[in-house]
Amino acid sequence: MFRRNNIAARIFERQIRTPAPGTSVHCSRQFYENLVPSYTIYDVECPDHSFRKFTDDGQYLISFSKNNHDLIVYRPTWLSYSCKEEDCNNHDVPAKRFDSFFTELYCVTLASCNEVICKDFFLYVESNRFGLFATSTAQVHDAPATGGAIQGVPSIEKITFHLLRLEDGALLDEKVFSNDYVNLPHNMGVFLYDDLLAIVSLRYQTIHVLQIRDSGNLVDVRAIGAFCREDDELFLNSNIQGLENPDRSRTHQLNGDLVENGLQFNSDNSFLGGIKQRLLSFIFQGIWNEEMDQTQRVQCLKKKFYFHFQDYVDLIIWKVQFLDRYNLLIKFGSVDGGVGRNAEQHTSFFAVYNMETTEIVAFYQNSADDLYHLFEKFCDHFYVTSRNSLHMRFISSHSNSIHALEQLRCIKEKASSCSQFMKKMLASLPFSCQSLSPSPYFDQSLFRFDEKLISATERHRQSTDHPIKFISRRQPHTLKFKIKPGPEAGSIDGRAKKISSFLFHPFLPLALSIQQTFFLQSSVINIHFRR
Amino acid sequence: MNMNHSSHTGIGTARTSSSLAIATSSATTSSWVSSSGKRIQREMMELNTDPPPDCSAGPKGDNLYHWISTFIGPPGTPYEDGIFFLDIIFPSEYPFEPPKVVFKTRIFNCNVDSSGNVHLGILKDGWSPALTITKVLLAIKSIFTNPDPYNALVPGIAHLYLADRTKHDDLAAEWTLRFAK
Repeated sequence: MFRRNNIAARIFERQIRTPAPGTSVHCSRQFYENLVPSYTIYDVECPDHSFRKFTDDGQYLISFSKNNHDLIVYRPTWLSYSCKEEDCNNHDVPAKRFDSFFTELYCVTLASCNEVICKDFFLYVESNRFGLFATSTAQVHDAPATGGAIQGVPSIEKITFHLLRLEDGALLDEKVFSNDYVNLPHNMGVFLYDDLLAIVSLRYQTIHVLQIRDSGNLVDVRAIGAFCREDDELFLNSNIQGLENPDRSRTHQLNGDLVENGLQFNSDNSFLGGIKQRLLSFIFQGIWNEEMDQTQRVQCLKKKFYFHFQDYVDLIIWKVQFLDRYNLLIKFGSVDGGVGRNAEQHTSFFAVYNMETTEIVAFYQNSADDLYHLFEKFCDHFYVTSRNSLHMRFISSHSNSIHALEQLRCIKEKASSCSQFMKKMLASLPFSCQSLSPSPYFDQSLFRFDEKLISATERHRQSTDHPIKFISRRQPHTLKFKIKPGPEAGSIDGRAKKISSFLFHPFLPLALSIQQTFFLQSSVINIHFRR
Repeated sequence: MNMNHSSHTGIGTARTSSSLAIATSSATTSSWVSSSGKRIQREMMELNTDPPPDCSAGPKGDNLYHWISTFIGPPGTPYEDGIFFLDIIFPSEYPFEPPKVVFKTRIFNCNVDSSGNVHLGILKDGWSPALTITKVLLAIKSIFTNPDPYNALVPGIAHLYLADRTKHDDLAAEWTLRFAK
C-alpha cells in the first residue's frame, strides 16, 4: 500500500488509526522525519564558553567558562517570533543570537585558584535534577607510590566531586579524593546507576560506592578493594585487638596508629586484597571443578593457575559499570593499560562481581567469544543507565535495531581476524556512563548517517568541509537534512585540521555544532534547528 | 636458566624482581641449584602423581623456588569452603633448610600469626632433609583440622580454642566467610 509521509498525511493517519499494540511511541517518533533541524545559523555570536551537553531531560544546557573555573547553565527555549507580512517564509530569521535560543539561568564558580573543572566530566541525576561535576588540581606523573598506592599511576593532589541542584545552582554536597587518581575524561572512572555512584580510585585500587540521597547528600555505602564488606576492616581490627600476644601489643599499638593514618596496608600488604582473593579463588575453583581426573587437574592448575598466579595478582581495576543495583562489571588489566591509551591492545579481563554477596559471578578474558555473543545479543543489558526515562529507551544499539546489527555484521565480515574484532568490540566495555545522546535524529530506524562523522556517542571528531547528511531509512531514502559544522563558506585554510563536536537536544529539533581549528583558540558555533 | 616466555599465552609477563633475584642468585651457586633444583623437581613429580586431597601446589611462573599452594577448607571444620592461598619459598640450601610458608589469605588460627606466618614444628627445629613438600602440605593441612593450641603463635586464639571452642569456631567461620571465599 502506498503511504504518503508528509506531516499532514501523518496527522490524519494518527487521527483515524490506532497503532499496533506497543508501537505508539514508535509511530509518534516517525514525525521526527518531518520535523528536522534543517536550518542553520552559521557562526552564532555566543558567549565564549565550552559547551558540554544538554541534560537528558532537555531542561538544561551545561557549559563551562574558558578558564574552566565557572559553571554556566542555560535553559533551552524555543525561538518564537511573529511575522506580519504575507510571505513569512522568505524572511530571514530575525534573531540570530545565541540568547534567542538559550536563557542563562546562573553562573557559579566551582574551582578555586589552583583547580580547574574537568570539562569532560558531567553526570546528570535525572530523578532529582542534580548535576555532578568534578574539579581537580594538576596531575603529577611520577608520584611516589606511598600508603598502599600502586606504582605507575599518576596522582592528583585533590579531586573534588560537586553535587549541585541544577534548578538554582546550589551546592548540595562535595566528596574529596586526596592524592588519588580517578579517570575523569568521558566519565570513564565514574558510573551512575539510579542513585548509586561508583567511583574508581585507580591509585588505591578501590571502588567507592556512594549513594546520592534525595536530600542532596553523598553518602559512602561501601569501598570495594582491600576489603569486600563494608565492615570487614572494623571486624578485623576489633578482632585482632584482644587476641594478640601480650608482648606484641606494642607493635599492635603502632599498627593502630598506622590505621588512623590510613597506612595500615603497608605493614601487612602480604595478604591478598579482598577482591583479589575472590578473583583468584573463583579462577582456582573453576579449574579445580572443570577437571575431575586427579593427574589432569594437577597439570591444568600448574599451567593455567600457578604459572599465571603473579600476573593475576598484578591485575588492576581499570573501569567499572553497574549491571544492576548489586552487580558490577569490572575490567581488570595491567597497570600500563589502565592509564595509557590504546587499551584494546592489552590483554584484559572482565569480572561480574556481586557487591551484596561479595562473590565473583563470572570471569572472562577480553577475547572470550561467549562474552562477545552476550554483548552482541543483549547489548542493551550493558546500557543500563537511566533507562527509566522514556526517550532513553530508544537509543539505537545492535540489539534493538536491525540496521545497527546489519552495520555490525558488515564490520565483522570485513575484519581480518575474528578474535581481533571481538577484542575491539569488547574494548567498549564497561560502558562509559551517560555517553550517548538520546536524540531521535540518531535513531537508526529513522535516519541513516555516516557513523564516522557523527553518532550518538559524544566524542570530538575530525571534521571535513562537507555537510553531514541524514537520509531517511524509509523508501525512497530521501535526504532529510544536513548538519554542517564550521563557517558557511567553508574554512579559509582548508588544510588545517578541524575538530567538531555536536550537542543534540534530547527531543527538540535543535542542535549545536562546535568546530575548532587546531592552534586557533576561537571556535565556530552553529545552531541547527527547524525554522 | 630459561627466561623465554614464548610458550606463555596469557597476560603480561612482568615477574617480580624478588623472584628473579632468587633465580639469578641461585644460578651463581650452580652446584646448589642443580642439587636443590633437582630435588624440588623430583618432589614435584611425586606430588603430582599422588597429591593429598583438597590441596594443590605448583611453581609460580617459571621460578622453581617460589611455589603457590592452595588449600580448600576441610569439611566439618570452621574453614569449610574457604580457599586459602599460601606462599612456599624454598631456600637455595633446600633440602638442608626448610621452606618458608606464609599464608596469603587471612585465617583465624592459633598457629598462624597476623602476618600470615605459620608455626609448625617441622618447618623449624623439627625439619629434616628427609621430609618432602608432600609432607609439608600434609602438616599444613593438619592445622586446619587439628590446630595445636600448645604451640601457638597467637595465644589469644589458642586460649579461646581451649576455653570456648564454640566461640572459636564461630569466629573462625566468620573469618573464612569474610576473607577466604
